[in-house]
Amino acid sequence: MKDKGIISLIGVSKLYGIGDVTIKALDGIDLTICAGEYVSIMGPSGSGKTTLLDVITTMMIPTSGKVLIDGIDTTRMSNSELASFRGKKIGFIFQTFNLLPKLNALENVMTPLWINGVPREEREPRAKALLKEVGLEDRMFNRPNQLSGGQKQRVAIARALAMDPEIIVADEPTGNLDSKSGALVMEVLSKLHKDEKRTILLVTHDEGIGKKAERRIFLKDGRIINHDEKHVCQLNGYGKSKPKKG
Amino acid sequence: MNFMAVDRDVVEVSIKNLRRAGIRTYLTLIGVIIGIAAIVSLLSVGQGLNVAVEEQFQQLGSNTIFIIPGAASMSGSGSAGISLTQADLDRLGGIKGISDVIPIYAGAATMTYRNEKAGISIYAMEAGKANIFGDTGFMQVAEGRMLSNNDSEGILIGDSISKDLFSRPLETRKIVLINGVEYKVVGVIKKESQSFGGGSSSNTTVYMSLEAYKRIFTGELSPGIVFAKTYTRADVEDAAAEVKKVLEKNYGEKSITVYSSDQLLTSINSVLGIVTLFLVGIGGISLIVGGIGIMNAMITSVMERTKEIGLMKALGASNNKILMIFLLEASFIGAIGGAIGIVIGFSLSILVSLIGTAVGFSLVAYIGPEIAVGALIFSMFVGMISGILPAINAAKLDPVVALRYE
Repeated sequence: MKDKGIISLIGVSKLYGIGDVTIKALDGIDLTICAGEYVSIMGPSGSGKTTLLDVITTMMIPTSGKVLIDGIDTTRMSNSELASFRGKKIGFIFQTFNLLPKLNALENVMTPLWINGVPREEREPRAKALLKEVGLEDRMFNRPNQLSGGQKQRVAIARALAMDPEIIVADEPTGNLDSKSGALVMEVLSKLHKDEKRTILLVTHDEGIGKKAERRIFLKDGRIINHDEKHVCQLNGYGKSKPKKG
Repeated sequence: MNFMAVDRDVVEVSIKNLRRAGIRTYLTLIGVIIGIAAIVSLLSVGQGLNVAVEEQFQQLGSNTIFIIPGAASMSGSGSAGISLTQADLDRLGGIKGISDVIPIYAGAATMTYRNEKAGISIYAMEAGKANIFGDTGFMQVAEGRMLSNNDSEGILIGDSISKDLFSRPLETRKIVLINGVEYKVVGVIKKESQSFGGGSSSNTTVYMSLEAYKRIFTGELSPGIVFAKTYTRADVEDAAAEVKKVLEKNYGEKSITVYSSDQLLTSINSVLGIVTLFLVGIGGISLIVGGIGIMNAMITSVMERTKEIGLMKALGASNNKILMIFLLEASFIGAIGGAIGIVIGFSLSILVSLIGTAVGFSLVAYIGPEIAVGALIFSMFVGMISGILPAINAAKLDPVVALRYE
């Protein structure tokens, strides 16, 4: 268990069958990401970076190989175990924000709270505190269509943090934002890494954005091409899991 | 892990989603409303008919045996294959448990009033015994008086005879000729008052005493129907069996139809029940169409909300939770449609009973909690069944595909 990191992929492959042709989206990936690391996954489109993210977030079960999160093999979990595991361990940030259009900012942030069974009385205070943290305390009751792109993404970040997850995954988080809003979002991510010691996984094809991470993983044709040294988390100064706030 | 994944949040979210769905939900509701309204109104009217029939029989008394010459028929007065004689009646009077034998004689005749002639039907019985029915609500007199004992000249006439049969109203104390014999109208029967056996309306019937009847019809008289009363209700079944036995011994099997009032009630109600069931079945078909409407709306809704479903899965919602959200939404459409349908259905049945009463048919719509509760449960059930397929579709969506669905 030790030194396996918060995320460990062992021989992970994902095959798609399209007609008679089989496409290897992931081809025997071995990867360890340490608790508290800030990692960017880069590569051209079709390189498998989105599939890699899907597998790590347990949204997709790999064809073969193991995906260990916190030392637990997620490929053997049932659907409901996976769902609740995902809800509590992983916070998602998307390129297209994926806010529910008919809910206001506060309700959007509260969505993971009711899904994951957080007691009712805790939900609103927690969501309000998070919105305040991302600087949207005066936008709580606005619906997504009344918010700018940067504001929407900050609501999404607040939502990703709602369950206080150890891992934050961001899939092209600045892709739909102007450079100023994008920079602000990247700043928030850096802060989550530095101040809160969360594990950040950033998928991007933008070199400039990818550079913000401590470690960069390049993918091509479903393989990691900058094969990093045998990654031993504790030797590199990373703890096994992030210290909880408060 | 809660397998069914139903909690307060899931319920609340389902309701919120419904409120947001707008016009499609309302249109879907209409389908359910029509189906449930049809079922509820038909059940309510059908049950009202049952109650009305039962009340008539209660008025008649549950210790009554109906004896109709001829094979079984529901038409009331005898399609006589045989003629019962006075000796038969005396024999019936001697059967254990029977307190009273009341033969009713029926005949057709011509009535003449102020040189106008018209056909009428006559019911006759011993005048003293007519009061037995008078007491129970039969032959209630609206004007004038009941027949008196041994009244060989007085007659009671139905409402229609009084008002409509002749160009001038025929009122009490007027003299008429029946088959050329003079009679005096002593009373007019109330319009709503029932006839014997629930058959043709008393409005066109003339009632007279046996003595009066004998002035027109001579020779050996044979009753069209005989009522036998027993001392207690407990005697009815045994006495009825004995009556049948005694008469069949004389006239052969199937020569006579004997009902206790309970038996008659049961057979009438079973016919009514079949008719009601048939009509409710037709209503049920419209509810099936409503259910298909729910299914259609839910499938569309699942498609529209594909991305939302993907997001919820990413945020930690299990397949079961998604399933329950959609299943509950469909059930709520059923329940809300059902509730509105119940109100409309009962309103319709009240309307029917008002119209019925206005045209002289006393019917009270039955507004029973069991109909309402049953209809509500049924409509929720239909909603839920209709929601199963769309909900499974939603639950089975691949989260990755759903999340990136455009």
